[in-house]
Formats: sequence, C-alpha cells, structure tokens
Amino acid sequence: MKLRNLLTIHSMQLIINILITFSLTLLIAFSFQLIYQATKFFHITHAIIITLGSYFTYLFGIQLGLNLFIAILLTIICSTIIGWSINKLVYKPLVDRKTDPWKILIASLGLYIVFQNVISMIWGNNTKSIRTWEIVTGNEFLGAYITNSQIITVVTSVVLFLLTVIFLKRNRLGKQILAISSSVELSSIFGISIQKITSYTFIIGSALASISGILIALDTDMTPTMGFNILLYAVVAMIIGGIYSYRGLIFGSFLLAITQHLTAYYLDTKWMSTITFILLIAFLLWKPLGFSGKKLKKVEI
Amino acid sequence: MEYILHILIFISLYTILSQSLTLTAGYSKLLSLAHAGFYGIGAYTSAILSINYGWGFLPSLLLALLITGVIALVISAISIRTIDDYFIVCTLGIQIIFFSIFNNWQGFTNGPLGIPNIPDISIFGWLIDSKWEFLIVSSFFTLLIWWLLNNITQSSFGKVLLALSEDEIFTTSLGKNVSKAKITSFTLGAIFSSIAGVLYAHYISYVDPTSFTIDESIFILSIVIIGGMKKMKYIFLATLFLFVLPEILRFVNFPNSVASNLKQITYGIALIVVIFLGSKR
Repeated sequence: MKLRNLLTIHSMQLIINILITFSLTLLIAFSFQLIYQATKFFHITHAIIITLGSYFTYLFGIQLGLNLFIAILLTIICSTIIGWSINKLVYKPLVDRKTDPWKILIASLGLYIVFQNVISMIWGNNTKSIRTWEIVTGNEFLGAYITNSQIITVVTSVVLFLLTVIFLKRNRLGKQILAISSSVELSSIFGISIQKITSYTFIIGSALASISGILIALDTDMTPTMGFNILLYAVVAMIIGGIYSYRGLIFGSFLLAITQHLTAYYLDTKWMSTITFILLIAFLLWKPLGFSGKKLKKVEI
Repeated sequence: MEYILHILIFISLYTILSQSLTLTAGYSKLLSLAHAGFYGIGAYTSAILSINYGWGFLPSLLLALLITGVIALVISAISIRTIDDYFIVCTLGIQIIFFSIFNNWQGFTNGPLGIPNIPDISIFGWLIDSKWEFLIVSSFFTLLIWWLLNNITQSSFGKVLLALSEDEIFTTSLGKNVSKAKITSFTLGAIFSSIAGVLYAHYISYVDPTSFTIDESIFILSIVIIGGMKKMKYIFLATLFLFVLPEILRFVNFPNSVASNLKQITYGIALIVVIFLGSKR
C-alpha cells in the first residue's frame, strides 16, 4: 500500500526534490573539488563564499536597489575576488612554509569563524530574503510542483557544471590541475606554475560557489551560518565520489540527494543530517578509496 | 560577586574540557571536533538519571563516565582508521550526529525543549546549593583531572602518544600498538570531558542541545590550539584568556550581541595567528 502510494502520488515530487538537491550539491561539490585537487587541503572558508553569494545579492539587489542582473554580476565578481585573495593572503604563505594540510584546515576554520561573525555583525543574525516577488504555487508538472526559481537552480547548476567540465577537458588548465594534484614537484619541473593554477582554481571555484549562493537565495532565506551545512553536504558528496573523478562527483551528489530525501520521506526531515553523516562515516570506513577507486590520500597507511 | 563566581565555575568546566581534549588532540594528534558531543553525553546521562530515576550525583557520575567511555571506544575504533584532515572531517560528522540525536530524539532527550529541574548535587548528605560550594566541587574535579592528565602525559603511555603523533610507522616498528594507544587516548579524553558535562548539568540545572553544538566543539579545539596543544598550564591560561576577554569587552561597553561576535572573531584570528606562528621556519 505504502509503496503504491509512493509510486503514484509522491514519486514525481520526490524525484523533483532529489533533482534540486542533487544539482545544487553537484555544483558546490564541484567547486570545492576543483580547489581541493590543486591544494589538497579542506578549504572550509569556501562556505563563506556561498554565504556571501546570498548576502552580496541582498546588498546590491535590495539594500542598494540595483537591477537584479547587475546585482548578480557584482556579487559574482566580489565573491570571486574575496575567494582569490583568501588564497593569496592566507593559504599561499602557509603552503610556502610547507604547513601540514590539517593545520591549514584549522586556519581555514578560524578564517571561517571570523568571516561568519563579520557577516553577523553587518547584516544581523536574523533571516534575510531577496525574494521581493510574490510567492506563487509553482508550476504543476506531472502532479508535482516546482517553482520557477527551482527550475532556474536545476538548469543553471547542471549547465554550469557541464560547461566547466568541458572547458577543463578541452583546455590545458584541466590537465594542469590534474598534474599538480598528482605531483607538485614533477609538474613544476615540467614548467607548470603551481601558483597560477591554484589561483585559477580559486577563481573558478569561488565564482561557482557564489553562483550557488545566489541560487539558494532565490529559493530560500539566508542566515550567516547557511554556507557551512551546505558545504559539509557537498564535502560528503565529494568524498563519496572520489577526489579526482567528475563522474564520481555526479554519483556522490546523486547518492547524497537520494539518501536525504528518502530519509525525509520515510523518517523525518530532522534526521537528514544524521543519515547523511552516517553515510559519510560508512564510506570513510568501507570505501576509503571513494567510488572512483582512486586513492583518497592517506586513509590507509 | 555571584557573577564572578559564575565565570570562575565556567572557567573550571572549560579547563576540564580543553585539557581532556589536549590529551587527544595535542598528544596523539587526533584533532577531534566531537568533543562537545561527549560533553553533552555526560550532561544528558546525568540529567536523565537524576530526574527519571532519582539517582544521586556520584552514581550518575559513574554511569555517565561508563556510558561515555563505551560510546567513545566504539567511535574511536571507527574513526581512527582515517587520519589528519580526514579524521577532523570524520569527527565533525560524528559531532553533527550527536547534536542531531540530542535535538531530535524527543522521547529520550526531550528535544529542543531540553530537560529542566535537574537537582543540585549532594555528596554524602552535603547539599551544594550555592555558587561558592559548587565552585569548590568543580575546582576539585578540575584539579583532580589536571593532576591525572599530567601523570598520564608524563607516563610511558604519554611518550608513546607523543611518538606516534610524530611518526606512526616508526612507533609501530618499536613494537608499540599504535591504534590501541590512539583509542585509549581518545576514550580517556572523552571520559574526562563527560565529567564536565555532568557538573554542567547539575550547575545550570537545565540541559538543552544548543550547549553541545559544533560551535562548542570548535571553541574547545581552539582553546587547545591557542594554548599550544601540549602543556596543561598553557591550556589553562588559554581558557582563562578566552573567558576573561568577553568580560573585558563588556567592560568597555560593547553591546552584548556584538561582544559575542567579537569574542568569536578574536578566537578565529587567534587560530590563524597560531597556525602562522607554528609554521614559521
């Protein structure tokens, strides 16, 4: 009975919800993976770039009253500059001193705390929204509902992901990123500028992350802490899919989205984060190599 | 005066928390972000035992230690299979699971509403109902744990932990059981932190999930890192610093909301600075 219910009434809505979560997670996980491939440390402050994507849109679009498209453009530029300068000012000096990745993670965590509190001080802890338009029920699609902004989210995320992947595959940059991720010394011998490539990954990654922040702001409210959880989910998706594989990333994001929405459907939305992180721990244990089979660094000694 | 006592009690509780994490994070290099979770397990166990089953302080303390120990044993056995930054991410996940259980298992923890009316501590008929007396009890535990941790870290076991944090393979080659040492250090750290949890529950007489969030874990780890990760004395001084600082900010008339942000910004900057100083060659 329950199965039939699921299949007839809710299946379409469930699929649409999974699709929305999947596409956003994919975009964020991809932007994070790009930076991780080049740097090999967890750039936790990436969460702030997502949050800033929402808040800058609020600043330019609502507070300064600019045209939404100009606001979005300015948002992407500003967030990208911030992401790029974080690398220049904080990570690069640490990497130059050959700091361990876990220490850079801690510094990144400290930086995240600083940024998050600055955002709290500027815009306050309460929720903000850029949605000045009327709330509509959304378009009916095979018995399920999807709003316009959700359609924009899905299409933009998937298209951006595909375009960037194609760009990286066609361009030397993609190969150079893979080269420095497999051996820093060897790639510098072959004349690849590590600094330049790392900067590029921060620029592309931050731009994609800020776009995902804008997409989130189109659909839901924003808080100063919003980026952290979303980024953690994306990190889970990346670890599941493997560090070097784009296909694995799609699989990881998909598995994450399915797990979350089936949990929400059968148990309760409140258990979503629990099940997600149980999934992560299970993966770290039984598939430490990720789904792509490539090595996750140092999990086995 | 009451307020100063309140701050002092909190300093003693956080000294327990940060020093116990020092054993795990500083000596065996297991930077756990799940410490607030164990703190919470101690607080919840003691709260539930004393309210639902009418247990006294000492028996509920002992059972809380036992339960935390068992949970920490299982979790460390799982999580030490990952190392360095993956360990941090893994424990981050565990912390979020803990919080979610505190927050969502309503039949057991009463969810976001929390558990109110936890009775005062009474030890052998001595009812501790003033802040003065509580400070004596919590300082007793703080000093006891400080002394224990000093002994542990200076024992041969502490040397094994130091060795394995430098080079695991080399330590293994000396015939030391690295994973056993890691599990022991993680479990001991968790057990000590649950003592702080039990004290906290009886002191505030109310527990709710917001006291045991990921932010709390990050805060405790920050104390350990700012304190230099090794010497218990410096860890204590770091705790002192991070608790006195917001009071100074309050003193120079910052509004309350901004003061809490400034405090977090300070320890965020402190973390970055410490990592920078530590990486100088």
